[in-house]
Amino acid sequence: MASALPAALRSEVLKARTTPTALGLAAATVGLSVLAVLLHAVGLPASELSTHANQQRVLVEAGENIGAVFAALLGALAMTAEFRHGTIRPTFLSTPRRTTVVTAKALLSLAGGAMFGLLATATSSLAGAIAFSSRGLASHLDGTDYLRAIVGGTAAASLWALIGLAVGAIVRNQVGATAGLFVWLLIVENLLVDGAPSVSKVLPGSLGQALAGQRTGTLHAAVGASLLLIAYAAVALALATRLTVRRDVT
Amino acid sequence: MNTDVPAARDAVCDGAVKVENLTKRYAAVTAVDDLSFSLRPGTVTGFLGPNGAGKTTTLRMLLGLVTPSNGSALIDDRPYARIDDPANRVGAVLESNDFHPGRSGRNHLRVLAAASSIPAPRVDEVLALVGLIDAARRPVKSYSLGMRQRLGLAGALLGQPTLLVLDEPANGLDPEGVRWLRDLLHGFAADGGTVLVSSHLLAEVAQTVDRVLVIANGRLVADAPIAELAPAGQTLEDAYLALTRAAPAAEPAA
Repeated sequence: MASALPAALRSEVLKARTTPTALGLAAATVGLSVLAVLLHAVGLPASELSTHANQQRVLVEAGENIGAVFAALLGALAMTAEFRHGTIRPTFLSTPRRTTVVTAKALLSLAGGAMFGLLATATSSLAGAIAFSSRGLASHLDGTDYLRAIVGGTAAASLWALIGLAVGAIVRNQVGATAGLFVWLLIVENLLVDGAPSVSKVLPGSLGQALAGQRTGTLHAAVGASLLLIAYAAVALALATRLTVRRDVT
Repeated sequence: MNTDVPAARDAVCDGAVKVENLTKRYAAVTAVDDLSFSLRPGTVTGFLGPNGAGKTTTLRMLLGLVTPSNGSALIDDRPYARIDDPANRVGAVLESNDFHPGRSGRNHLRVLAAASSIPAPRVDEVLALVGLIDAARRPVKSYSLGMRQRLGLAGALLGQPTLLVLDEPANGLDPEGVRWLRDLLHGFAADGGTVLVSSHLLAEVAQTVDRVLVIANGRLVADAPIAELAPAGQTLEDAYLALTRAAPAAEPAA
């Protein structure tokens, strides 16, 4: 009874299943993955899709990137929605050990993030393969590249869901947390890729892309990138847990 | 009900809720200042005071949501966070709208039941108890304030609590709902339960509670049976206004 993690986890699963939020985010993940692939694979001239790196970049930017962004939103909303709607009060009354609540949310975010990553990378891989072949472009990608995009993108998204959860728990404000994640992943890190590649390659967004396949400025070794991204998620979650336990809920 | 029962439980659970020197200081103000009281099983206690007097902060400290700056608020001699199975000891409603608007009332209760390992059939029992069966599968955003109050109470009654802590539960209830709530609280106390209920509706409080705590500017200004505070010929409102107007101003935090 003391920690009651299984009960808290069942409650978190029910929370996720009883609002339209997660389903809506999943649909957006699939839709935007297709859109991003089409913009790149159909919109770009053939000359910019003629190398292995070019083609892989389409997979990673459409798949891993979108999977990570939406996984981060999923994680953040698991916490900020409770503060926004006040359900954090009944949640903490039912489970006064707040570490248990954060742990249950982390486990669910890990699983949900992996699902989002899989959705995004599988969709973009499929859409990319179809787009390349329908344009008659020579494919420079083999099965290993697709596998890495899917497995690495799934792993990256699950870790990004944890980072999103931690940001949500630290910021608590829904608009602030989600806007912050968007700006960081889609603007700040993208600017740093070209502006400061040596810094960029150890930042969590780039590490996620490194997991899904190489990209200029990212760490090439999957093991190193995984460990560093895990470290980011662990530190963020530890800070989030500490703050969640200490802060008053008014 | 055998009239000996509440007395018997009294002996076992005496001082089940004990608040001692409870204090909450914020940067600019002392919201709750050296507050001490205890609650007796088998009684309904009204918790009164002007807006900003510290009622809400006190209830949040009792329920472990806010950490006291000083003093303690204990249930069975332990802080809320150390209660083994809180849903089966304490039922609470702190705000009238702590629901996700897109989730149905029934699903809200299923979420709470899961967190406390309460069997699923209990959800439909409490929905029937508060009269929300017909609306149970609609999203909460379609509920009136009175329906939200009923849903909050359903959540508080999901376990088998022996202590109810309710912040303004009568707001938004229609006259029938007010009568229903009054009967519910009387029945709960008659079965040996303890009730702490804050309210601004003094005429309703006078009909519902056995005892009254009045706070003003974070300090206790009255702790007495209702019959003593508002003897025949004087209304609770007169007594309340005299007490709260005479209260000294809050001290700025050191």
